[in-house]
Amino acid sequence: MSQKIVIERSYRAQLAELWDLWTTKEGFESWWGPEGFRVEVRTLEARAGGRLEYTMIAEGAAQIAAMKHMGQPLAQAARARFGELRKDERLTLICLIDFFPGVEPYETTVAVDFRSAGASSTMVITLEPMHSEQFTHMARAGWASQLGKLDRRFAQST
Amino acid sequence: MYIDSFQALADPTRRRIIEALQHGEQPVGELVGQAGIRQSGVSRHLRILSAAGFVSMRTAGQRHLYALRPEPFRELDAWLAHYRSLWDARLDRFGAALEKRQRRSAGRRSRP
Repeated sequence: MSQKIVIERSYRAQLAELWDLWTTKEGFESWWGPEGFRVEVRTLEARAGGRLEYTMIAEGAAQIAAMKHMGQPLAQAARARFGELRKDERLTLICLIDFFPGVEPYETTVAVDFRSAGASSTMVITLEPMHSEQFTHMARAGWASQLGKLDRRFAQST
Repeated sequence: MYIDSFQALADPTRRRIIEALQHGEQPVGELVGQAGIRQSGVSRHLRILSAAGFVSMRTAGQRHLYALRPEPFRELDAWLAHYRSLWDARLDRFGAALEKRQRRSAGRRSRP
């Protein structure tokens, strides 16, 4: 029962413009978020197996307050790597989830397929947020009562 | 609640039992064939699924009949919907960032 989420979005843009937002430092920093967080990319190697390392920095007043409330630092390092990378066609981003105290690090994959039709370009994003292995990890760490917190951190990391 | 849901679904045999029960209420004997393990094992997994709220049991004469309960599935759906909404917001920002870049490059082009 590994559940996948598929999200499709179309934009009036060239494929290359979409591609740049995923694979350049400036592009990635301009949207990855989440809301109220700024991203600073330290390393972005746009090739199969390349590293993507960045820092998430709470910026909004509500987000700063929330992080303080949870006893979390305002800046958190995050690591990912590109799996596949075929320009203007497909990329996969494998994010390392290594910031749950007491939980063995595990990986979650975001796959993005690109296609163009006339003046618009489409991205199909496939998320696998709940591998059974992750169920076990989360269960073991007793995250049950802290789903809100879990969601917030997933939002930062994936 | 969630801790039980995650543990309950982490096991492939239990997922097979849930799939079998999607066709409707069944006795243990029927589930044994579909789960591919012995009856004692199926009974143990049914107890775990039952404790996690996924499965209910009723007695009809000599037989125990098992069925799925919708509540934990609804909760997992709600969790997934929330996860999805986080990505929707992220992709809204993607669209906004894209437009900003397009405006910027259009501005550069129109400059004398």
